Amino acid sequence: RWLSVKRLMKEAAELCDPTEHYHAQPLEDNLFEWHFSVRGPPDSDFDGGVYHGRIVLPPEYPMKPPSIILLTPNGRFEVGKKICLSISGHHPETWQPSWSIRTALIAIIGFMPTKGEGAIGSLDYTPEERRSLAKKSQDFRCEACECSMRTALLPPSPDRDPRPEDSEAQELAQQISFKADSRQASESGGATSDPPAPGPAEGSSPGERDSSEDPLEDHEDQVDPPGGREGGERERERERERERERSSPPPGWSLNHKSF
Amino acid sequence: MEHVKSLHACRVNHQVSFKGQLLLGVNCLAYDEAIIAQQDRIQQEIATSNPLVSDRQALTVLQNEYAHDDSIYQLKIKDLHKKYSYIRKTRPDGNCFYRAFGFSHLESLLEDSKELQRFKAVASKSKLDLVNEGFTEFTIEDFHNTFMDLIELCEKQPGLKELLGSFNDQNVSDYVVVYLRLLTSGYLQREHGFFQHFIEGGRSVKEFCQQEVEPMSKESDHIHIIALAQALDVSILVEYMDRGEGGTVNHHVFPEGSIPRIFLLYRPGHYDILYK
Repeated sequence: RWLSVKRLMKEAAELCDPTEHYHAQPLEDNLFEWHFSVRGPPDSDFDGGVYHGRIVLPPEYPMKPPSIILLTPNGRFEVGKKICLSISGHHPETWQPSWSIRTALIAIIGFMPTKGEGAIGSLDYTPEERRSLAKKSQDFRCEACECSMRTALLPPSPDRDPRPEDSEAQELAQQISFKADSRQASESGGATSDPPAPGPAEGSSPGERDSSEDPLEDHEDQVDPPGGREGGERERERERERERERSSPPPGWSLNHKSF
Repeated sequence: MEHVKSLHACRVNHQVSFKGQLLLGVNCLAYDEAIIAQQDRIQQEIATSNPLVSDRQALTVLQNEYAHDDSIYQLKIKDLHKKYSYIRKTRPDGNCFYRAFGFSHLESLLEDSKELQRFKAVASKSKLDLVNEGFTEFTIEDFHNTFMDLIELCEKQPGLKELLGSFNDQNVSDYVVVYLRLLTSGYLQREHGFFQHFIEGGRSVKEFCQQEVEPMSKESDHIHIIALAQALDVSILVEYMDRGEGGTVNHHVFPEGSIPRIFLLYRPGHYDILYK
């Protein structure tokens, strides 16, 4: 168990400062229970949402995977239910000891816009419900770790991060979108869907907000303009389509991800 | 719309899968938990009846593992007797190749200080190679440290008992297995141009490593063995004993043409250590 402790101390140090996408720290009295906050992926119904949850580490960590439990209503994962992070013959992929809590956080962000398909612990709320929950999520405060979703993460940056250490991840992200696109084409005859493709200058870019207090109001204006909601949405969607054609889509949230 | 949504799911799924190879198996949570529970029970049973690495035993123990009139195996065991006298068994938990290799090589280092120094240098440098390949340092360094600790233990010329004790300490032993898996994965990825040809199912080398090499309990095949042997420059001979015709045991040396240091016995699904 001391090996787990040693490892978790390192992870706690590594994740000590919030990023704009995620933050996680152990509870003060229990290194094996963490609380985390993640930002909803920008080009999704979870845009503008910040979601809070628990991570429970098994005593064998990192030999066994962590469990994740969402605490903020989000419309994708049931609140208070364990989400398992691996295994089974259904998925060839499985937990690797060289993964970390950060890997799990990145995965959960990436997994939010995927279909629930009626699975246990999954929810298939409508886009409207999800967007409304995303908005409300900012009001969430966690009693246990005393954090508020408005201030839990750094405000989203206006540009994609040009830091040199990200270039490798960026390269990877491009390979990923290429792979995913070819898969799509082969399955759909090239029909466009809605990839999670936040272009750097997307119309609804979170970067236009300049403080962590503002997003909610901005968001309300954009999502629910009086009397013009549907039209606004469609306009945004078209803007996104255009944006997508201009830029290949490495998702902004993935750029800091180095532990693959 | 349904169609479009599922494509979206596929896409994102794919992205996460490629980057982190981490899938949230929400689709089958209860089912998964039942499987985990059952696997745990099976592992428990295997664990209570098999140490991770056993004492050295006379090769004759093999004869009793098969029916006396099982002529194919009894003939092959006789053939094996011509070259080997002892066997050391490992727990059949899917990690047996790494554990057998790790123990056998470190055991041999107890009596070979020259190889020990060479091996220590290679092992010491290996972490940096992995980090340069993109592995996250803080997530792999504990595994590396445990591995180095054991090599340094061998340097102090402890009794065999102490080394055997370490390999039977689940934490230490599994950390060594993880590190050997990382070395295997790192080598396969570094030499992906070569190994790509041997991977079935249209997977990339990276995908193969994330599915078949790095996760614990995934069994090893030729490709794993050749990668680890080359990564550490330690020659491995494997005797293959199965139901095939012929009455003799065939062997393979990895890499081909090298002079073997480590001798392993393969029976379908499992590796043990052999001694002359």
